[in-house]
Amino acid sequence: MNLLTDTLGMTEFWANVVIMLIVCTIVFAVFALMSGITSWAERRIAGRMQSRYGCNRVGPQGILQFVADAVKLILKEDLIPDGADRFLYKITPYLCLMGVLATLVVLPLGSRAMMVADLNVGVLYFISITSIVVIGILMAGWSSNNKWSLLGGMRSAAQIVSYEIPVAMSLLTPILIAGSLSVGDLLDSQGWLPWEWTAFQTPFSALAFFVFFIGSLAEGNRTPFDLPEAESELVSGFNTEYSGFRFAVFFMAEYGNVFLIGLSTTALFLGGPNLPGFLQGNPFLSVAVMMLKTIFIMFVVIWLRWTLPRFRIDQLMDLSWKYLLPCALIAFFGQSVFMLVAHQIPAITQITSIVVFIVFLLIMIKFIGRIRTNYKEQSIPVGLN
Amino acid sequence: MNAYFNNIKNGIQTVFEGMSISLASFFVHPITIQYPEDDISSAEKLKETYKGQLGPMPENYRGILDVDLSICTACQLCVKACPIDCIVIDAVKCDKSKVQGTKSEKPAVKTRTCTRFDIHMGKCMFCALCTLACPTGAIVHTKVFEMNKYQLQDLVLSFVSEEEKEKAIKRDSELKVEAAAEKAAKAAKEAEKTEEEK
Amino acid sequence: MTSELKTEHITINMGPQHPSTHGVIRFVIKTDGEIIHECDPDVGYLHRGIEKIAESVTWQGFVPFTDRVDYLASMNANWAYCMAVEEMLGTEVPERAEYIRVIAGELNRISSHLVAIGAADMDMGAITPFVQLLREREYINDLLEMICGARLTYNYYSIGGVNYDLPEGFSIKVMGFLDHFEVAVEQMHRLVTYNQIFINRFANVAAVSPEMAMDYNFVGPNLRGSGVKYDVRRNKPYSIYDKLDFEIPIGTASVGTLGDCYDRYFVRVEEIRESVKILRQCLQQIPEGEIQAKVKNAIKPPVGHKYIRTETPRGDTGYFIYSDGKTSPSRLKIRTGSFTGMSIIPELARNIFIADLVAVIGSLDIVAPELDR
Ligand code: SF4
Ligand code: SF4
Repeated sequence: MNLLTDTLGMTEFWANVVIMLIVCTIVFAVFALMSGITSWAERRIAGRMQSRYGCNRVGPQGILQFVADAVKLILKEDLIPDGADRFLYKITPYLCLMGVLATLVVLPLGSRAMMVADLNVGVLYFISITSIVVIGILMAGWSSNNKWSLLGGMRSAAQIVSYEIPVAMSLLTPILIAGSLSVGDLLDSQGWLPWEWTAFQTPFSALAFFVFFIGSLAEGNRTPFDLPEAESELVSGFNTEYSGFRFAVFFMAEYGNVFLIGLSTTALFLGGPNLPGFLQGNPFLSVAVMMLKTIFIMFVVIWLRWTLPRFRIDQLMDLSWKYLLPCALIAFFGQSVFMLVAHQIPAITQITSIVVFIVFLLIMIKFIGRIRTNYKEQSIPVGLN
Repeated sequence: MNAYFNNIKNGIQTVFEGMSISLASFFVHPITIQYPEDDISSAEKLKETYKGQLGPMPENYRGILDVDLSICTACQLCVKACPIDCIVIDAVKCDKSKVQGTKSEKPAVKTRTCTRFDIHMGKCMFCALCTLACPTGAIVHTKVFEMNKYQLQDLVLSFVSEEEKEKAIKRDSELKVEAAAEKAAKAAKEAEKTEEEK
Repeated sequence: MTSELKTEHITINMGPQHPSTHGVIRFVIKTDGEIIHECDPDVGYLHRGIEKIAESVTWQGFVPFTDRVDYLASMNANWAYCMAVEEMLGTEVPERAEYIRVIAGELNRISSHLVAIGAADMDMGAITPFVQLLREREYINDLLEMICGARLTYNYYSIGGVNYDLPEGFSIKVMGFLDHFEVAVEQMHRLVTYNQIFINRFANVAAVSPEMAMDYNFVGPNLRGSGVKYDVRRNKPYSIYDKLDFEIPIGTASVGTLGDCYDRYFVRVEEIRESVKILRQCLQQIPEGEIQAKVKNAIKPPVGHKYIRTETPRGDTGYFIYSDGKTSPSRLKIRTGSFTGMSIIPELARNIFIADLVAVIGSLDIVAPELDR
């Protein structure tokens, strides 16, 4: 900033603009790259889960597949269906992408300093800006002049609006712990050790983490909540009619959303980029830690998608209103009461978090045991050769 | 109320189990064949790559048809057996071992030779009825299945070349001439006989 | 005020190109948002006139066409037709051939049911089980390829027996495969069949009472899913089925109402287990001997007609043959399970969700080519 104002003689306003542009470019580049790589990773992971390879032709292990896809899509004709609302139809993909991208403003790619803007109402901003996507999807469904798309758009509107509530409710728990609405403060309220993460602080925050994760899956239209695009029911939902570049933008928004789910879960619940004391402030390590956790969450999201069947629309609503919302409320009240108690007996915080983490570890050990048995079962030879 | 909690419990348990299964299959070796690179005809190679999971291409695989013209007797049984008439055979009478140069123990027998043996692989449905009907085993399925062609016409397999056809026709006419000569000789003989008798 | 707020039902075309109609079937549905009010199935997109073709090919030459009637269970279709002609001719099929027929038929039944339940899973959005089940089917295809050289349209049964004998070591391979298969399929059921989300999607959806099932002339697994214990293999045994020991699974309303989608689905799951049992028995009992009865080269059944019923994966499949003593049938009529399953859809698809219609189609196991022939 100083460099720009002093040496280049810019006014402060223009210097700000330049810096803004640079930051935006960096964030957008990271986002685009990540969504591309996610689309590749999804196909590879899905392939391996289904005893196939997935894309492995373009580039080493097929990693350049997303570039090839993008090139192919850009070269395609941009079709606008007859009777479509042309203006809305054209503008919609960018609205979707914008909704997803704008979330990145308050999410850190690395440590607290690496946020585009550390708003003091960051969490509120995060909750509200994600709803722009729903307008985009609704508009896409409406303007395509296709009944399947319309149904997809409607489903999506109903779904995202109702899942906002449990998500927002579950976010109250980390807010309580941090005592602030700023994402930066939420990061600082967590330590680097797993039991210092918000997710494992108390049973209630673990519950909130659970609700938040499921809710954001639903908001990101991922299986088991992919009703707006439900392939076997609505063909491809709201984006049926899109082709060419516009479809590519939808595609990017969709996979970018997975990245965002990972990023937000990591930042809000899984300790973000926090490092042990002596490494504090190392920018590369904090980016690495952040990305590792994000990639892990993304893997879980993809893994869930290729495991579970899809909900029906009424069951989806049931899940939101009858199951997740009560859970989020329990988490919130439980956490409040817990904090009151902990105020009297400070030692209890440490103990509960370690107990919660140990319980989590035990579950994981059981899980790994199940994986081993299932792996053995799958490896029984067929003996056809 | 009970149903409510049961739902949650079962939901979590089954999702847990499902995730362990899909992750387990994540570590299992894929079984798809990387087709043009991997040789699928040899059982040993497949065994190496796919750990005995996949069966090799069996010996009796029903690929495109092949005809061994040296033993085909042009009996037309395959034509009759084919439900969609994709085999066309024209034949002439000739001693084929002589024409085709094949060495047979037996002396050249007068028999029929194909002057045209076309199979339209574009129509064929690989039902094997022709091979089952063939009394000599001349028509067989091969293990070849790669037969993409640029033109439909290229899918018509002709087993008799022009040369052979000409040879056969020539031999046929020769034979006819011979037969005619023989007949004439015979007739002449007979005529002589009758004359003598007179 | 309310009188001004008129709403309209929207008419949507589901199909002919739709991912979950399993082929080219078209449903014209009238919906109020997500809820279907009326559903009108429109069939015939895949009509190839197979019954008419029969009148111009020879008796033996029609066998490969029966493959195309139901491409998922070609063996069983071959079998039904060959049996009908044999009955007309009065041919006695050798015992070994009968065993081979049962083995091939049951293997094919398993592979067909695998596709049925896999496709139902995929309609519910679970793609991994579908692909994994298809992988198992691929092994079965390998096995069937070993005995007849083709993977989908087998043309394996001939009039009076089977075309090829079993290859060497076949029973060992099948046994080895079954050991793998039972475990692997059970695992896939843990992945999807017992999954709570899946159960919620299928249970209590589109229940068909036993009376209704009989009224609509349901056959096969669909009928048994409604709790009616009827299986041609048991009730009118043909071939060697009366010598074999197996159960007839019926719907038990284990998670919902009797005859709902889950029951129909689960009957198929159970039938796979029964088929494995049958295969094990057959492979142990199979005798040596001829595989083909003596039949004349040019088959000419006597004048008359015959109707034969067999249990194929899609239910009671019948072949009606009328012969006028010539080298090709004078009239041939095929009766298939998919068609009767289809006729109930307008009744079932009332006041259910669009997503449920997909579940209904999936659970009825409708195969388009068999429907239209
Ligand atoms: S049936 Fe065999 S021998 Fe006869 S014409 Fe055909 S290929 Fe030749
Ligand atoms: S395989 Fe069948 S369709 Fe092909 S030529 Fe032989 S009989 Fe005809």
